Amino acid sequence: MLNDSSRYKEILVKGIWTENPVAYQVLGICSALAVTVKMSTAIVMSLALTLVTAFSSMIISSMRKKIPSNIRIIAELAVIASLVIVTDEILKAFFYDISKQLSIFVGLIITNCIVLGRAEAFALANNPVDSFVDGIANGLGYSLILIAVAFLRELLGTGQFFGFSVIPNCIYDIGYQNMGLMVLAPGAFFIIGLLVWLKNSLSGISHEKR
Amino acid sequence: MSDKSQDKNSKKNVIIFAIILSIVCSLLITGAASGLKSLQQENMRLDKKINILKAANLIKNNQKPPKDVILKLYNDHIQEVFVDNTGKTIDKEISDALHLYFYKTDNKINGYILPINTRGLWGKIQGYLAFKNDGQTVSGFSVFSHAETPGLGGEIENAWFQKNFKGKKILNSQNKFVSVGIAKGKVKNLPKKIQDHYVDGISGATLTGQYLSEGIKSTLAKYEPVSISFRQKKLKAMDIHQNKE
Amino acid sequence: MGDLFSLFINSVFIGNILLAYFLGMCSFIAVSKNIETATGLGFAVIFVLTITSPVNWLIYHGLLAPGALSWAGFPDIDLSFLKYITFIAVIAALVQAVEMIIDKYSPLLYASLGVFLPLIAVNCAILGTSLFVVERNYTFIESIIFGAGSGTGWLLAIVSMAAITKKLSYADVPKGLEGFGITMIVAGLMAMTFMMFSGITL
Repeated sequence: MLNDSSRYKEILVKGIWTENPVAYQVLGICSALAVTVKMSTAIVMSLALTLVTAFSSMIISSMRKKIPSNIRIIAELAVIASLVIVTDEILKAFFYDISKQLSIFVGLIITNCIVLGRAEAFALANNPVDSFVDGIANGLGYSLILIAVAFLRELLGTGQFFGFSVIPNCIYDIGYQNMGLMVLAPGAFFIIGLLVWLKNSLSGISHEKR
Repeated sequence: MSDKSQDKNSKKNVIIFAIILSIVCSLLITGAASGLKSLQQENMRLDKKINILKAANLIKNNQKPPKDVILKLYNDHIQEVFVDNTGKTIDKEISDALHLYFYKTDNKINGYILPINTRGLWGKIQGYLAFKNDGQTVSGFSVFSHAETPGLGGEIENAWFQKNFKGKKILNSQNKFVSVGIAKGKVKNLPKKIQDHYVDGISGATLTGQYLSEGIKSTLAKYEPVSISFRQKKLKAMDIHQNKE
Repeated sequence: MGDLFSLFINSVFIGNILLAYFLGMCSFIAVSKNIETATGLGFAVIFVLTITSPVNWLIYHGLLAPGALSWAGFPDIDLSFLKYITFIAVIAALVQAVEMIIDKYSPLLYASLGVFLPLIAVNCAILGTSLFVVERNYTFIESIIFGAGSGTGWLLAIVSMAAITKKLSYADVPKGLEGFGITMIVAGLMAMTFMMFSGITL
């Protein structure tokens, strides 16, 4: 019992911080940045990716002894794609506005390196429960970076937090202007570069070449 | 142990595995897709209604009222109609009938709302342009679908861009049809006598502005018969047949 | 014709699939140290994109879109939710074919591209381009031009990045920024440069 919970804790810490998929393993940044213009889209995207990674890792792990080796990648992609399609349909049914803004990026979770990466690196060698936790952990690590980027971009670029204006008018009156650059692509690149720098300096790990 | 691994890689096993996996996946996704379809379509219809109401200024741009409020507002004030190319309302949809919406309060028509469906820089831009019942003054503009670049052309979905359309005129002082367009830069830098026919452009999105302007102009030209009917005060009262949604 | 040319130029520069839409970055970061590898990979991506875009267009509009199956007598069926799976399958198959062709005709290129070729199959830019073609309702010809343009834009971005990263090895980059961090900052500067083209009308 004690062994289990400390093992989960280890998996969680690894996925969220020390081996954060984006900052350390350099995975999954692809589709991420485009949805970080607003926090609402970033949160929905993070949730979607975390759940897909967790469930796909769990499902693949439970099949791991049965998957023939020559169709391994295809089988993994099939599981991941099915989960993503189901997620997309659910979003269109229950969160229509946000799904409109996420457009093709939900589908791109299929090709997101994190999902396939965890399936290959962890799920194939561990039991389903551990794989689920690992999926959640890496998903949360990704979410951490994504939401941080979105927070900064939305705040600096439009003066809003979750769609609510938070910068008081008096600040605008003395000459402050929203940083338009943050809403555009270069802003995202800069923010994430700086965030990764911060994270690496904090945990004392300098990025190793893959 | 080697026997087991040979087993799972045997041709027969690969085929059985593939078939089972395909069946399970297909059931899962088809189930989700068809089960949720009606909800999704309802969402799309509701989205259209919200945008028509926004163009008619019945909902503010950043408001999202609950569903029953939206439906009530829509049913009370919006009527979908079909019009032939002389500006007369007709019962059914014939092939080149124009499709638009009347904004009414009780039995009085306050204005009309035209669907805009034009090409943009990347994909289609879809929205609604609303007019007062004088047939020439814009009362609102909303965009519900576009594929423009976020932060640049994508600004067309924001309140600051859309509210500039209010009060613009599509007829000039000689009563000639000139439409309303997106300027390159700020309207205040244009000659005074054409300022009523332009809105501020989006910096960095000249092309989006151009495409949208062209699209609006050709759409408005098509609907001129309707606008003329309004200018000649022919459509003030509710003398049209009721159409089902 | 002018519209098509416009679409091509737009997808290379203003709407660069990597610098404006962030797609295709995994492989981008992995090969960005070596200019030859980057160029080879870039051309492979152009080839794959120019073929998968129209092929996926045909499959979508012939089989999956709502009403597409009316030629077979099923006008009411809407299979568009299958697009993710079919597109990925087509892309994977094509990449496999490309791999075999490169192996046969240029073993040297195959040796240097090695592990990256299968990575093209899961490269977000390939799937993303096909999905954009569907979302933006392009015609068949437009899908080919858009595919070629996106690929060219990707090639430009990745080769420029490789060249810049090479020069960076002489610079004194702070430890925390090494690798991923500085690549992102450089990408941001490149993105700004490409955005300059939005002021030009053709």
